[in-house]
Amino acid sequence: MAELNIDNVYKSFGETHILKGINLSIQDGEFVILVGPSGCGKSTLLNCIAGLEEVTDGRIVIGKDDVTHAAPKDRDIAMVFQSYALYPNMNVRKNIAFGLEIRKMPKEEIDAEVHRVAKLLQIEPLLDRKPSQLSGGQRQRVAMGRALARRPKTYLFDEPLSNLDAKLRVEMRTEMKKLHQRLGTTIVYVTHDQIEAMTLADRIAVMKGGVVQQFGTPQEVYDDPANIFVAGFMGSPSMNFLNCEVTESGGNYAVQVDSEGRIFQLPIDPKQADLSQYLGKTVILGIRPEQITHVMPHVEAEPFVTKVPVKIEVTEPTGADTLVLARINDQECECRVHPTEAGKPGEMMEMLFNMSKAVFFDPETEERL
Amino acid sequence: MSVSNKKGLDYWLPKLVVSPTVAITVIFFYGFVIWTAVLSFTKSRILPQYEFVGFDQYVRLFLNDRWMGALTNLLVFGVLFIAICMIVGLIMAVLLDQNIRAEGALRTIYLYPMALSFIVTGTVWKWLLNPTVGIERFIRSLGWDSFTFDWIIDPNMAIYTIVIAGVWQASGFVMAIFLAGLRGIDTSIIKAAQLDGASLFSVYTRIIIPSMRPVFFSAFIMLAHIAIKSFDLIIALTGGGPGNSTDVPAIFMYQFSFQRGQLGMGAASAIIMLMTVLAILVPYLYSELRTPKNG
Ligand SMILES: Nc1ncnc2c1ncn2[C@@H]1O[C@H](COP(=O)(O)OP(=O)(O)OP(=O)(O)O)[C@@H](O)[C@H]1O
Ligand SMILES: [Mg+2]
Repeated sequence: MAELNIDNVYKSFGETHILKGINLSIQDGEFVILVGPSGCGKSTLLNCIAGLEEVTDGRIVIGKDDVTHAAPKDRDIAMVFQSYALYPNMNVRKNIAFGLEIRKMPKEEIDAEVHRVAKLLQIEPLLDRKPSQLSGGQRQRVAMGRALARRPKTYLFDEPLSNLDAKLRVEMRTEMKKLHQRLGTTIVYVTHDQIEAMTLADRIAVMKGGVVQQFGTPQEVYDDPANIFVAGFMGSPSMNFLNCEVTESGGNYAVQVDSEGRIFQLPIDPKQADLSQYLGKTVILGIRPEQITHVMPHVEAEPFVTKVPVKIEVTEPTGADTLVLARINDQECECRVHPTEAGKPGEMMEMLFNMSKAVFFDPETEERL
Repeated sequence: MSVSNKKGLDYWLPKLVVSPTVAITVIFFYGFVIWTAVLSFTKSRILPQYEFVGFDQYVRLFLNDRWMGALTNLLVFGVLFIAICMIVGLIMAVLLDQNIRAEGALRTIYLYPMALSFIVTGTVWKWLLNPTVGIERFIRSLGWDSFTFDWIIDPNMAIYTIVIAGVWQASGFVMAIFLAGLRGIDTSIIKAAQLDGASLFSVYTRIIIPSMRPVFFSAFIMLAHIAIKSFDLIIALTGGGPGNSTDVPAIFMYQFSFQRGQLGMGAASAIIMLMTVLAILVPYLYSELRTPKNG
């Protein structure tokens, strides 16, 4: 077990620059989730940490050892590959046992270990099959098994649950969490699944274009996004972004919105942003759909809550809530209401805009204000 | 009406187009195979005749010392040729797989011998191996006066010269097959093995090479059938000599059928060769067509 320091790492393939100065300092036993759009360099970063790709510049330090130029096997890392990378000539049992055999573990211990992980991952009936005789989700679990059979300093997981059915995925997610709590190993984990990211992570690193946009706890990343990209990437349905003009009302700053020709002022919590520089200018208001709800008396009384009638364009029932697409400032805006409260498309409906968690961005730089 | 007409044309056109090929294959390939089989059961000497004598020709064949000698030679040549080609081809492929520079050029150079006809290979190696003009003379001219390399005129060693020439010609091709096989392996498998702590040597011996079983099999089949049918190389290199020391079944078959007026026995030897090739090929085709590919 050890901390993992990624220090200003660059990686280029010829003239294509993939990682552009990654800095992450990951504590001992921390569960870090990497998220970001496809092609942003997540797998490349994991490969660099594992030593499978030589970094172009920068350092990688595990514990006290600078491993930047160490061979993969000397870094004491186990990895689950996005493409599974199972050994095609070996059955499942041998696939899981291979790393242990190479490390000269006694035969009985290997058998015990193989059975332990096979049970954990529910692949016991498959132990004697070849990878070519497995489904995608089964292969993925074997790939997990191969990593979990070892006790390395660091685990790297590249979308390890992406191919499982919904139920199994939830089960495996819980197993991952338990496993991490039991072993306390440092884990770097790539996923495209928002819920996985929020539930598993101690900290989330949001990447885009080879640069870490934000590195913080799930709640920080969710409530306090560093820029529009992070705000829009985290959370499903995504945050609403509305271009609004900043005004002053009653000693307080507010943003002005237009619904069906009527103008409303939404007062701003001064804790959220200081907009004194932007008076009379346009900013981007970021507000999550769950902050725009149907009228609830106990919410209505709270500060920074404003009632605005909006015209419903589309409704999307999700079961627990209904998403209502409305038009504000001539832009689309999603609101989250209780299914029984939702009106019909074309109707007007009163919504409560709760600005206590609203965030603001500069329209030019798209950075947080 | 017009629709069904069109359907009719669509249905018949492909059959019409391939029918000449099918006809030619049936007549000249299977037809002559059957004719040869028939002749092997007759008393035919110089010309075909149809007086059937059962398995007499086969019995005579296996009582013939030259035939048994040819079979022994084929065994020696076949085993060495296949084994050495595979080993050399594999080593070259693994070396070429290490991301070296000029790989394309090297690959082409290794492949060139395969583009030559066996007659050319045979003739070139005949000169190289000839003690009075080739390697022996060259080394002696450098000063090693006692150097001797006269396998080609030594009846006990001549068969090995054929192995040398055959390996020279075919191993580049085997290398290309193996290289394609190596390239077909997902690089992340190698990465995974490295993380598991395997050395490069065990990555190859325990994972990559074992997972290339189908490739080995294809290479083996191709080499085996080159070996069994080998004729032109030997004719050009040694002509079957010295004496009959490099005789192989193909030469035996040719000489008995067309030069010695023993058409029946020649046909019998041809059928034996066909059976040998089939014995190798049928299990191969069976396994290729039946089992799904390992992935
Ligand atoms: N060996 C390579 N040579 C050149 N470019 C590469 C190589 N490997 C990856 N890339 C490029 O690097 C970029 C990042 O790839 P990477 O696999 O790290 O993406 P990712 O973030 O893991 O995406 P995904 O979520 O789709 O898995 C891609 O644009 C890819 O085309
Ligand atoms: Mg990836």
